[in-house]
Amino acid sequence: MSLDFAIRLTEILLGLAFIQQSIEHLWASRGEQRLFLPRLILSISLVLGFQTQWTSLALVLLGLFILKRFQGPYNGGSDRMSLLILCCLCLTLFIPTQTAQELVFGYLALQLVLSYFISGWVKISNPEWRNGQALDDVLRYSAYPASESFRPLADRTRLIWTMSWAVMLFELLFPLTLYAQPLLIMGLITAAAFHFANACLFGLNRFFWIWLAAYPSILWLQYRIFGVV
Amino acid sequence: MNIKLVGTIAQTLRLLLPALIPSWRFFDVIAPSPRIEFTLLETAHDIPTAWQEFRPRPAELSAREMLKRLFWNPRWNESLFLVSCAERLMANPTEHSSAEIFTRIGAELNQNPTDVKLPPYLQFRLVFLDRQNAEIHKRTTYTSPVQRYSEITSS
Repeated sequence: MSLDFAIRLTEILLGLAFIQQSIEHLWASRGEQRLFLPRLILSISLVLGFQTQWTSLALVLLGLFILKRFQGPYNGGSDRMSLLILCCLCLTLFIPTQTAQELVFGYLALQLVLSYFISGWVKISNPEWRNGQALDDVLRYSAYPASESFRPLADRTRLIWTMSWAVMLFELLFPLTLYAQPLLIMGLITAAAFHFANACLFGLNRFFWIWLAAYPSILWLQYRIFGVV
Repeated sequence: MNIKLVGTIAQTLRLLLPALIPSWRFFDVIAPSPRIEFTLLETAHDIPTAWQEFRPRPAELSAREMLKRLFWNPRWNESLFLVSCAERLMANPTEHSSAEIFTRIGAELNQNPTDVKLPPYLQFRLVFLDRQNAEIHKRTTYTSPVQRYSEITSS
């Protein structure tokens, strides 16, 4: 995958994710509408490829106003990933030299890998994740399950233990998928399925869309470093 | 450039930094989990007796509803934001977090579609759920001042 194609794909996927996020705020207070209506228009412009340099810069500036409005991210990790992708994309579009562009876009890809690896590492370092108690707690009393009907899953001890280890091993082993493109594609499909499950069980729909927007960067980086193995 | 503007810019950049250098420590420990409960009062001096959870989650979700929420999930995302506000209120209390919770409960009450006249004063509290050994414990960690919610304006 060429850098130009990966950048264009990122613009489209990021724009679509921002459209989804922005529409959710259009029925909120007037203060939120004032921030998210322009964001919706800019996101459409990004998807269409209109003046992407200036559009992404305007989206970064608007992102800062949104951060200030909510005194931090509105939607935790998904907003942080949104800003990370947006800032990297904006820098890539403004930087004149290809080497610097590759460094910035490579940084985004590295962060995507770390988003899985570090998550897996901190989990496996915690004995409560290793024995299944942590996932039990998430389902039993945390604010995340989207329906009360998901809470009894916590009683299925063997399933919870298996799910905990499946998540930890997948997250820890994700960097190894960089070795070959077919392996990476399989890893990304598994990762997308993981985010889809989180969207269904915990209502984390924004994570699903925004993590997809970072996938072109890792596909490009894999090709750039290893070529097709 | 005045000092207030410099302060605002510095604070916004401080909020941006964790996005540019993220920690990615999702669910590393399962912390006590907040619930927001509210009560409606006839006067500002009434003693609250009945609290109800704000936006309890549905008993069931169909596969169709889950798929729909993949594209359109504003209420749930707002509820997750309020969970963040509750956590922030405990970790680093600010007027902003308290006002966000008040405003959003008040806005929902002001949209009351029934003809029943609701009491005019609102108070909320934060109840944190935590596991101690095998039991789930609830403890109230914060109770807000009483406020007229019809006077709450969303910004």
